Amino acid sequence: MTGAVAASAGSCDVFSAHLFSGCGFQAPGLQDFYFKPLFTVDGFGFTKPMLVAILCVIAVIAFFWVAFRKPKLVPGHTQSLGEMGILAVRDQILRPAIGRKGDKYLPLLVSLFFYIFLMNLMELIPVFQFPAMSKTGFVIPMVIAVYALYLYLGFKNQGAWGYISNMWPHDVPWPVLILLIPVELLRFFIIQPFTLGIRLFANMFAGHLLLSIFMLATWYLASLSIGLLFAAGSAVMVLFIFLLELLVDLLQAFIFTTLTATYIASSLEAAH
Amino acid sequence: MSARNQRDSGSEASGAQGIAIGWTVFSYLIGGMAAYGGIGWLIGRVVHVSLLFPIGMLVGLGISVGYIIYRYGRAASTGGDKTWKRA
Repeated sequence: MTGAVAASAGSCDVFSAHLFSGCGFQAPGLQDFYFKPLFTVDGFGFTKPMLVAILCVIAVIAFFWVAFRKPKLVPGHTQSLGEMGILAVRDQILRPAIGRKGDKYLPLLVSLFFYIFLMNLMELIPVFQFPAMSKTGFVIPMVIAVYALYLYLGFKNQGAWGYISNMWPHDVPWPVLILLIPVELLRFFIIQPFTLGIRLFANMFAGHLLLSIFMLATWYLASLSIGLLFAAGSAVMVLFIFLLELLVDLLQAFIFTTLTATYIASSLEAAH
Repeated sequence: MSARNQRDSGSEASGAQGIAIGWTVFSYLIGGMAAYGGIGWLIGRVVHVSLLFPIGMLVGLGISVGYIIYRYGRAASTGGDKTWKRA
């Protein structure tokens, strides 16, 4: 079947579309973030992102359980690796933000960091190839949990009025203070948690889209023509984006966890 | 703790604070535009002047930028944000 006949027969899809085949480039889009359910239970569809999330949870729990179920003074390989991970979060994220008094929040920060990092890495692992954090349904509950925690700690440590009054500066003239109050209230209660979540979601969404575009472009351009040259260029871009996404995956996990630690620190501080 | 560890922990603390300050500045910009844009939109609905919404956003942006310069610009010139530690 020639390309024109194939196109007219409506048999163009991602797999059959190549350069000069008569089929246009099937660009990835929003439709690639929605999955048909793997199975349905009482109308509830269980999809691939949910499977990815559950596997990540199991993997993180399993790793730390195996690493520390029988801790030794002279650690083995897994225990060493687990200790490096925990100490990295403690020394690079928790202690700089909160100090020693924040050590009781280490389990939360370690869990957040490794869960987010592994969920992000799923974008690059064959078979999975989807970052579940590119769906807001996985990001929002984490943001709500962090938000509820630092609000609770703030109200508990500083009292309701003390916590709210500490949001705005006390060393500015009162006309300026009146102007600043709406900004501070909106920033603290709405913008701060919103940006915490949207930053992670948007980076993963954009990264997945970028990787998909270049991978599909490589496939589309790979025809027995001049397109092979462009396919090679696109393949190089895939490698570059892969490495970039590896960095972004780690960075976004680090930033989310660091900001969580910072918000907890600001809630724990007593009023000036 | 060795001197190198003290330097390292100090630079890590400033790194974490740097990330927090950066995103705080961004939040101030968005918050200012949203707060005063919202106020302008509400007043605009009452008085039927839709231009108050973008004017409010610009006013909010100006207030945010002014406050960011006041708080972080002054902190930089005096060697640290001594007046207010909340991120």
